[in-house]
Amino acid sequence: MYWRQIHWAWFGIHFFLLTAVCFAGIFWLIAQGSTILPSASDEYARDAELAATWCLGKEAEASNPLRRGIAMYLHAAGIQAGYTFFAPNVPNQHRLTFELFYDDGRVEHQSPQVLSKAAALRLDTLLDKLADERYEAVREVLVKMLAFSVWRQHQDVKKVRATFGSVNPPDIDEFEQGKRETFQPMFSFDFSLRDDQDQ
Amino acid sequence: MLKLPGSQINAGASLVKKWWQSFCRFLFPSETDTWLAALRIGLGLQVVVYALFLRSDWHYLFASSGKGLVGREIGEGITSFDSPFIPTLGWLVAIGRNFNISEEAVLSVTWVCLLSAGCLLSLGLFCRAAAIVAWLVHLCAAESGGLLAYGADSLMTTALFYLMLSPLPDRYSFDHWVAKTKPRNPQALGFWRRVLQVHLCFVYFIGGLAKCLGNGWWDGSNLWRSLIRPPFTFVPPDVLIRFRYVLPLLGISICLLEVSYPIFIWIRKTRVIWLVCIVAMHAAIGLLMGLYLFALVMIVMNIAAFGVVSNTATPQTATESGAH
Repeated sequence: MYWRQIHWAWFGIHFFLLTAVCFAGIFWLIAQGSTILPSASDEYARDAELAATWCLGKEAEASNPLRRGIAMYLHAAGIQAGYTFFAPNVPNQHRLTFELFYDDGRVEHQSPQVLSKAAALRLDTLLDKLADERYEAVREVLVKMLAFSVWRQHQDVKKVRATFGSVNPPDIDEFEQGKRETFQPMFSFDFSLRDDQDQ
Repeated sequence: MLKLPGSQINAGASLVKKWWQSFCRFLFPSETDTWLAALRIGLGLQVVVYALFLRSDWHYLFASSGKGLVGREIGEGITSFDSPFIPTLGWLVAIGRNFNISEEAVLSVTWVCLLSAGCLLSLGLFCRAAAIVAWLVHLCAAESGGLLAYGADSLMTTALFYLMLSPLPDRYSFDHWVAKTKPRNPQALGFWRRVLQVHLCFVYFIGGLAKCLGNGWWDGSNLWRSLIRPPFTFVPPDVLIRFRYVLPLLGISICLLEVSYPIFIWIRKTRVIWLVCIVAMHAAIGLLMGLYLFALVMIVMNIAAFGVVSNTATPQTATESGAH
């Protein structure tokens, strides 16, 4: 009897939430100053982003049931993030290399390894997230885990130095002139079996 | 005090009523289930491809700390900060532990479940149950490996979410042949197709708008950067240099194609052009950048939403199937 009413009510709520998620993403990009819009718009974008995230309950306390309920629904429907793929510009690639120091003085270089190309793509996604300031809190733990995954295959290693950085590709003109990608280190960590030290 | 004449109130009320009726007609059109069959078969294949692509790394990506790449717990911790009620693989592992089943065994069973659900969806056997299992297991994997997830995962979750809620089974499924299920309510079928169509309009409009805000899409440099960016280097840079003057044109075309999608995909005369262009764009993304899963899910969603010819169900069919 109420079949239609239930459906259109769900439709309204679902697409209202999707609109809020999408515009929160767009306004976040503008507020970051990474778009072609003038910097004067950054502040308005920040306010607009705040309004959009308020609609999603994100301004409420983390334990707020409404906030948790909305978040659960967004994840279940796969609409927790906007659709700003490769936008506004294609980000730099990131690279993590490990220097493996052995007892006998040998030093080897290695990157985190996976078997398939599909997993390699996911590993690249993870590395791009490491550079994002929103993941700063878990950055060291993640690098430590990745270092540990390498150490498991080389258990005679005494120390592992992880260096993370951004790979800047040349533009077309630079490439034609023979310039190739450059690596810009962002941070490094030293890990030993007993203690860890951030450099 | 200003008084509105009765005729004006009546006119206003009838305008609102008219608008409401046309909105309802838009939201609940009568449809056959051909589009749903396309979505089911396409997503079934998508799930199979997803499972097979990750076969060799499944345990390594989703094992707990100390056994896997980064350990499932970090991704699950970030997810549970959003809401502790979001399902993760950790839930399934915890259930398995209660029955003395090891983590490795649970992960293996999970992978087999996902692959089986994909096969069953493609064949149309136990459609609803298979759609629910595929959605749940994929969601668990996407959330546990949240740090390893990318756009294709959220789009896959969305597509499976809609499939799970749609009026399954369709008449092309084994379920229909075996159990002789009744035809589904044509308006319910129309409603869920509308949901998928409107969702795609959001995806492209927002994606196009965000691209329009970046200068790199207007001068073609973003296409260059995306095509030479490892691991997407399927086209040698020398080949790209040969077509350097085409890159800005392609970049602008992508922006315009995406941002205008919500308009031209609805117009009968331009629908085929936009659909072909969008499918071609995704095929190119899949082949040139190696983003096969992303390309496949987008093509499946587009074909189901706008590609399958809409055989409008007759009112007789609606009555027969017990609509409303």
